[in-house]
Amino acid sequence: MRAKPNEALARVERKREKWMKNSCSSVSKFLEKYFDGEVTDKERILVEAHLQDCSSCRHELKSLEDLKAFIRAPVEEAAEREDFPWVWQKIEKEIRLQKKLTPWQSIRSWLDVSPLFRRRVWIPAAATAVILLFITAQIILRKTPSYPDASVVEYVESETDNVMVYQLEEPRVTVIWLLEGPEKEHAPT
Amino acid sequence: MALRGTGEGTRPHMRKIVLLLAVFFVFAFFSLSTASAQVHARMRVIRASSVGSSVDPSLRDVHTDLGSLFSFTSYRLLRDETLTLSLNRPVSISAHEGRIIIESTLVGLHRGVAELRIRVAREGKDILNTQVKLSPGRTVFIGGPRVRDGVIIYAVHANF
Repeated sequence: MRAKPNEALARVERKREKWMKNSCSSVSKFLEKYFDGEVTDKERILVEAHLQDCSSCRHELKSLEDLKAFIRAPVEEAAEREDFPWVWQKIEKEIRLQKKLTPWQSIRSWLDVSPLFRRRVWIPAAATAVILLFITAQIILRKTPSYPDASVVEYVESETDNVMVYQLEEPRVTVIWLLEGPEKEHAPT
Repeated sequence: MALRGTGEGTRPHMRKIVLLLAVFFVFAFFSLSTASAQVHARMRVIRASSVGSSVDPSLRDVHTDLGSLFSFTSYRLLRDETLTLSLNRPVSISAHEGRIIIESTLVGLHRGVAELRIRVAREGKDILNTQVKLSPGRTVFIGGPRVRDGVIIYAVHANF
């Protein structure tokens, strides 16, 4: 007895579904490797042939792509915000050291203060500097004499006349007196 | 974010900061020392004589200070100047129609004591050279150059 055409088609469809089901289970173990580009050529051909007919596996592959995009976007965004200056500076320094810099280049490298401007250390550093400067200024500008006034006159000389020095402590007065003779005075005309 | 301010990478930069601060302080110290090496000195030119008995009201303190030493009866203020003295920059004041000149030079300023070099010249010729240490509150009188009927006295008082 011959089978009806519709029954034959249904049988073929069931066989195909069974084969696809088996094929899905065999392909799914390659799907992640395929997604990561780690499959062999033979495996890639097998997976790609299966994906043409299997919407379920295509959907699964699409899920993997979506997941990757979902993870990568915020990570890349965060990486763009953070440029890791200190890491890069350290790497550059190591590279420079490997290049065996000349002494002049070494000095320039050491004096390079640009990374400091990227850090937030200058606010406390400036505050400390201001405080220390204030204290230092108080010491420098202190008006207390460091020695007594006993020797106010360091020297006195006159090639023409005698000189006398008086020094009083109360009141605090020092007098330097030139004993000029009357003949030195020239009356104005 | 965990890399910021931590780890061994910070140490060389701390050395840089410390060195830069040290340079800053050395510079600031010398700048302040230089900037503060300036004093204001009040210079009064007085004519003292034994003719008359008038004492300029602004010279009461001079009369009080010198009264016990000298027998002048008259004190007349000829000039009253406040000089800004900078290090090694002489400033001159003339008296007696320009015949007598007193030149003051700040040669040092150490912890509230100004060192002044003072030169008195009559008609271009030095008649007195001296160097004094002037502290706040002390007055130095330099007198003796004769003029008609009296003498010239310079009263130097530092304000700083």
